[in-house]
Amino acid sequence: MVTKRYHVASVAPTTQTPTDQSVTTTTTQHATIPFRKQLKDEARKRKADTASRRRKEDNPKLNRWELTVGIEIHAQLNTARKLFSGAASTINDEPNTHVAHFDLAMPGSQPIFRKATLLPAIRAALALNCKIQRRSKFDRKHYFHWDQPAGYQITQYYEPFAKEGHITLYAHDGIAEEDGEQITIGIKQIQMEQDTAKTLSQPGDIHLLDYNRVGLPLIEIITLPQIHHPATAAALVRKVQVILNAVDACVLGMESGGLRADVNVSVRRRDGDVGDHEYGGVKGLGQRTEIKNLSSFKSVKDAIVAERDRQIDVLESGGLIEGETRGWTIGSTETRRLRGKEGEVDYRYMPDPDLGAVIIGDDLIDYLSQNLGVLPEQEVQALVGEFGLTFKDAASVVSLNDGGRYEYLRSVIDDFLLLSPDDDLKRVGKLCGNWVLHEMGGLTHPGADEDNPLGMANDGNCIIPHNQLAKLVYLLDIRKITGKSAKRILSELFVSGLAGNQRSTEDLVDEAGLWFSPLSNAEYEGLARSVIDLKVVEEILAGKEGKINFLVGKMMRKDGDGRVDPQKATAILRQIIDEFRKL
Amino acid sequence: MWPPAPVVRRAARLARVKAANATQASRLPALDDLKNITSNSFISFPNSNTNTKNGDLAESPSDAVEESGPEKTSPSLARPLPNSIAVKDNIATADLPTTCGSGILRGYQSPFQAFVIEQARAYGGEVTGKTNLDEFGMGSHSTHSFFGPVRNKPPFEDFSAGGSSGGSAVAVAQGLCEVALGTDTGGSIRLPAAYTKTIGFKPSYGLLSRRGVVPYANSLDTVGILSQSTKIILKTFLQLGQHDIADPSTLPPKSRKRIAKWHAKMTMERRAKADISKPGFANLKIGVPIEYNIAELDPAIRRAWQNALTLFQEQGCTVVPVSLPNTKHALSAYYVLAPAEAASNLSKYDGIRYGTRSQLSDGAGDVLYSYSRGEGFGDEVKRRILLGSYTLSSEAIDNYFIKAQKIRRLVQRDFDRVFSISNPLRPPQQFDLSDMDDSVLLPDKLGPCDVDFIVCPTAPTTPPTLDDISKQTSVDAYMNDVFTVPASLAGLPAISVPYKGYFPSGAFRNPDAPNSIGIQIIGQYSDDVRVIATAHKFLQLQEDKANSRLRDNNFRARDKKLAIKEHKASRSMVKFTPSEEGILSRNVKISKHFSGRSMPKSLDYLLIRKMLQEVKITKYPSRKGLILQQQKSKAQTDREFAGALAAWDQIMH
Repeated sequence: MVTKRYHVASVAPTTQTPTDQSVTTTTTQHATIPFRKQLKDEARKRKADTASRRRKEDNPKLNRWELTVGIEIHAQLNTARKLFSGAASTINDEPNTHVAHFDLAMPGSQPIFRKATLLPAIRAALALNCKIQRRSKFDRKHYFHWDQPAGYQITQYYEPFAKEGHITLYAHDGIAEEDGEQITIGIKQIQMEQDTAKTLSQPGDIHLLDYNRVGLPLIEIITLPQIHHPATAAALVRKVQVILNAVDACVLGMESGGLRADVNVSVRRRDGDVGDHEYGGVKGLGQRTEIKNLSSFKSVKDAIVAERDRQIDVLESGGLIEGETRGWTIGSTETRRLRGKEGEVDYRYMPDPDLGAVIIGDDLIDYLSQNLGVLPEQEVQALVGEFGLTFKDAASVVSLNDGGRYEYLRSVIDDFLLLSPDDDLKRVGKLCGNWVLHEMGGLTHPGADEDNPLGMANDGNCIIPHNQLAKLVYLLDIRKITGKSAKRILSELFVSGLAGNQRSTEDLVDEAGLWFSPLSNAEYEGLARSVIDLKVVEEILAGKEGKINFLVGKMMRKDGDGRVDPQKATAILRQIIDEFRKL
Repeated sequence: MWPPAPVVRRAARLARVKAANATQASRLPALDDLKNITSNSFISFPNSNTNTKNGDLAESPSDAVEESGPEKTSPSLARPLPNSIAVKDNIATADLPTTCGSGILRGYQSPFQAFVIEQARAYGGEVTGKTNLDEFGMGSHSTHSFFGPVRNKPPFEDFSAGGSSGGSAVAVAQGLCEVALGTDTGGSIRLPAAYTKTIGFKPSYGLLSRRGVVPYANSLDTVGILSQSTKIILKTFLQLGQHDIADPSTLPPKSRKRIAKWHAKMTMERRAKADISKPGFANLKIGVPIEYNIAELDPAIRRAWQNALTLFQEQGCTVVPVSLPNTKHALSAYYVLAPAEAASNLSKYDGIRYGTRSQLSDGAGDVLYSYSRGEGFGDEVKRRILLGSYTLSSEAIDNYFIKAQKIRRLVQRDFDRVFSISNPLRPPQQFDLSDMDDSVLLPDKLGPCDVDFIVCPTAPTTPPTLDDISKQTSVDAYMNDVFTVPASLAGLPAISVPYKGYFPSGAFRNPDAPNSIGIQIIGQYSDDVRVIATAHKFLQLQEDKANSRLRDNNFRARDKKLAIKEHKASRSMVKFTPSEEGILSRNVKISKHFSGRSMPKSLDYLLIRKMLQEVKITKYPSRKGLILQQQKSKAQTDREFAGALAAWDQIMH
């Protein structure tokens, strides 16, 4: 298993050739790691090494320039109604079927703040460690665009509802190597605001408007400019999505358009003078540009890399960076200018005279923070600390199925402990984790849903009942069935689950007659003798003890039913080889 | 419900252009059965076959009038139909277009109805028509309308009817309705009332719902009531002044309840303190703001003001000078704040979802929609949008918008300091005597007198002619609002009552001018009922006076002499300076009480109670009752929501 840490540690000796590496690792690794997996890991590591080397070679200028990034993330809140009207909030309904008078800015219509929209917003702010403001207000931000019927967007400019938060990113979140084990990024503020209408562009310069989306509640999360690496920026956006999901603040992920990011990018010389600009209280920065409307994690990263390189090139060739808004198209290599400073709109922020202040009581904040539930970060810590999973596995489990996989794993572990009460938690956790994540993750079937073959719900229920899986893992653990049989039973559990009739593990083992009968000593000996190769024996006798594994492997392959216990086989082989030694 | 609205729709565009070309020449809807109304006070009527709904604009009657000359013999219904309501055309009605007097909304049919109209209809009110106004309420003479200027009541068609609710005021003056609804942002109800000799009441901000009222400046806009009778005004105010769950700026029921309780307490206190040797009315203290005695004040108005104060004084009221030092900044603050909000509110008019649209593409010009907006809005609206856009811009906001907001607070503070009851929306404050103008006399060491009401003119002049107005600069026009704007900024109830002039001889009158003068009574926030009651009393006193004089020949002779004297004085008005005017001069003494005189019935709460008894509030029709009940239970649910939601208080500005 390659974790980030391992990866970081092995980057240093870049002089090693791939073959060298494979040899060294083979000898240093524990013999219990399957060989194929080992090869896979090696390959992955090589790829990562060359990639990082290429990145560095690509822009040696990075030694001279430091990148600074601040991010604004817009996320659609999980609410039943719009922010200021009673129209339902929907995702893919027929266009223009959920529109109130106010949403269309009909003359004389007024906003009515929907208090319920505060709940997911406050949950999000709490999860991002923000201070909830007792008093906040709504302001109008003016600009003309056809997706904005009122000619202004109602947002919180002067008095946002949450301020001064932070988010901590760890190595396993995929931050840049340079950021080390963890990095904390400050969150300047979170504000509530209205979404715009959806534009459906048609050929011939025709734009159709779907006002279902107009006025839906969004939160905008504004980070401080404390990010210095593109990978960290992408990791932050990804983590924000996971957190918002975990506290049920958000409906959709980035891939479905429920989350959009704008990034502010600037560079400054590492050695030379500090920049003249200050953003969010961070001083000495270079002139920034803003890249709007990034809709995937990859585009966040790619756009920042492209804009960073562009800015460095401009500055190194003696040019100046202009404060402008730029755009990014997926798959391109350069950001493109949308409008310059002279074309910048003066938003003429004005407190909305129709809407009073929002006063949030401490009782509400207390209630929500007590009922916030466990954040993914805490879930990862629990899996690693209590249940012995690796960071990477833990992070994968937590991120799958909206947290459903985590729930499922916990249920499986609980069930397993019922069968084996005094077992070591870490051992059980690791064992069950392996099955829930890797073995179950490998299940496919033409009849299954491609995105979620297990039909895993976020409450942790799926087509394979957790008690049956726990039973299966338990039977394997106490050697009542072999690993190979276990995998076969798992796939049968999967198929019968898909068909809608859930079967018990025992029945399936019964039917298939897979109960494990251990090989007798005589059978072991017979098997051992059948694979003995004199040449290998001589080598072993000459001191190459490791070669014995080769013979064990041969025995296991020969048996075919997976009944061979490697330890026992080793012992038997030793006996036989010792006989040779005596000869 | 709403089909997708294409931003660029060529075929539809072409069709519309053709239609527009066909009707370009005509600018007014036909005034079907009331064609003989020469004042251009109405824009649409319920039974009119050709209204602006279809964009089918008939020949302009105002053009016709101009050709044939003003028709001075226009019939005026002596007695308006009971329950007939004329509605300013910026208040949404479901069955008549709501144009706001703007080209961009000509023919616009609102899909919903204003809450005040719903209420009025629930009480049996019938809308007789939509009245003409300054475009979106921006103006002081109702001349900035897409449908042509409103003219004062015949035979004074050449004079301003005041604005922006000029159409509503003239409709009342002509007896075409029992009551008219208008809006008052900086004096738009009171000024036309003064110019047309009608009564115009602007309630406290937030008591009447603004839902369905097309906003000009939300934080100032108030639905106002015009009528010939104070009783009708009170009745209408009580009918319409109910909480609307769908208007975030109406006072919530909880606050209403609290304020009502507090008022009850105040009444008790007043009773306890009252001098029982005098009738209730005589216990009133009337404040005369010294800052309102401006150099620009027309001498005729000043005289009327003085006479009005004398009338109060004769009844035993205490009349005292008070100081509202920030008045001089109020007008400037208003003309920063109102256009700023207007510029924001009017951003929605782009011709896409409703309203008119230029035949050029939406993207033509420098900014999106520049042609639709350029063609749809009138000059005054454009002027205020520019003004507001500038004062909100990042370079100017600190110097204009923010400062104006601060002045607004100071203006509110001025009033709070002067009124004997505190503002129920704000905690009581301490005032520093050193802030006070030197001229304010202190009756004792405790500080200046607290007053119940402020009495002042509504407008600095009598109605100007439309011709004069056309020559005015916009700043001259803005000056007209100087007495009405402070109460708007502070959100206070204010009423304009005609000063009828109890000099029967009329020697100083100009028979060719309307000679309309309005006296304004301003009260503390939520003191609406007492303000209306005082107005009622004031009108009654004027009538009593006139009647007694008619009976008394000696009086008549004396009046004649007085009038001649006044007339002579008015000829030499150039020399006239504020200090020469008796009660208004800085030498004003705290007035004597005239307790020995025989008094008419006491005013205060006895009168109010009587008036309230006369008001017949019909029961809601069952459907309406149901809706209200639903709203109520919904409010209940909202309140109970999660049991933990914080106080969501409507903060009044």
